[in-house]
Amino acid sequence: MDGLIAFWAESGIANFDGGQLLMMGVGCILLYLAIAKKFEPLLLLPIGFGAILANIPNGGFTDEGGLLYFAYYVGIETGIFPLLIFMGVGALTDFGALIANPKMLLLGAAAQFGIFATLLGAIALNWIPGFDFSMTDAAAIAIIGGADGPTAIFLASKLAPELLGAIAVAAYSYMALVPLIQPPIMRLLTTEAERQIKMEQLREVSKKEKIIFPLMVLGLTILFLPAATPLVGMFCLGNLMRESGVVDRLSSTAQNELINIVTIFLGLAVGSKLSAEQFLQMETLGILVLGAVAFSIGTASGVLMAKVMSKLSGGKINPLLGAAGVSAVPMAARVVNKVGLESNNQNFLLMHAMGPNVAGVLGSAVAAGVLLAVLG
Amino acid sequence: MASISEQLYDALGIMVLGMALVFIFLSFLILAMNLVARKFGPTPQAVNSAPVAQPQRADTSVSPLMTAVITAAIHQHRKKVL
Repeated sequence: MDGLIAFWAESGIANFDGGQLLMMGVGCILLYLAIAKKFEPLLLLPIGFGAILANIPNGGFTDEGGLLYFAYYVGIETGIFPLLIFMGVGALTDFGALIANPKMLLLGAAAQFGIFATLLGAIALNWIPGFDFSMTDAAAIAIIGGADGPTAIFLASKLAPELLGAIAVAAYSYMALVPLIQPPIMRLLTTEAERQIKMEQLREVSKKEKIIFPLMVLGLTILFLPAATPLVGMFCLGNLMRESGVVDRLSSTAQNELINIVTIFLGLAVGSKLSAEQFLQMETLGILVLGAVAFSIGTASGVLMAKVMSKLSGGKINPLLGAAGVSAVPMAARVVNKVGLESNNQNFLLMHAMGPNVAGVLGSAVAAGVLLAVLG
Repeated sequence: MASISEQLYDALGIMVLGMALVFIFLSFLILAMNLVARKFGPTPQAVNSAPVAQPQRADTSVSPLMTAVITAAIHQHRKKVL
């Protein structure tokens, strides 16, 4: 009989509390979004499962010595996982469209306004009772507007580790929602005639240019913004491996096996931060709202910048391209292509939109570097 | 702790500084990219010269008669396989 009582005392049913059940529910919602709705399944599936594992009473996954504890401690607290992912993204990225049309970098810069505007918004939220965001918290939340998962996780792990779970979930959920969030803003800010603008074909890009590009980006970062070198450096390493053409084995590992392995553990480790006491807070609600605002402002400022450039160039640039300035590669570029085709079914903007899209990745890494340099 | 309006003022400063830095950094990159493009960009002559050589070789190595023979052979072979 004693054995039975001891067994019962250890069982999940006897130990559940409301918060844990609720967080398992959140985990199940994330699994549902990943499997049924195909929202960023590569990350939301391990994050959702991690959230369930982390909330098992007596499971010990997140206690010192547990699997999720180590995954978080080794990979995220140190910043290693997001950086390895960034290397893989570098190896996956073709900068050809950007090198052919360097002006697109300005669109990637303009869209980062979403980040800095949200910084202001997060601080302003402190007027509402129940919110108490410090400047570093606000910066970590604002980076959601960069629409770049690894950058958001990297910055959050440095500036506001206790908000990391909510920030990562918000960042990846909104990236999945790009096709819903962006088009209304794009249509609101552009006229039908502007959306129909066709762009000149991109010029060819030589192999030398593609090899020099990552080295040049790294060089400028070293000179002006060393705080961004962890992110930009790994990104450039991945890209150089790809473009140099002499280390295909390394390049293919970085963009396939390595990034996949790291993604599994990154997702689990982020999920482990979705514990009841950290996630079921007023702040989480604020982060979700601010994230959506950040995305919308980033899209709007990119489109407005593209409108200015379109006017200055005498109508050679389609303002829709501005929306691709938020990173979210390649989703944002696809959205631009789709909205462009709605206005003119012969107008294929995808390749043109890849320019500002990869510029957005650089832009958000630079913005993260600025925030780290100022606040870190 | 600093009052909210003071914090807002700081945030505004970071916003202006941040956007300025992002734009300056990427503008430098645009300049550098244009320089590299001028020096290492693809040369149009190299692209033009390649197609000129091919038709000549095609003329000399395969006569019209041989072309007809080969075409017929391939045709027959395909029929057999299908």
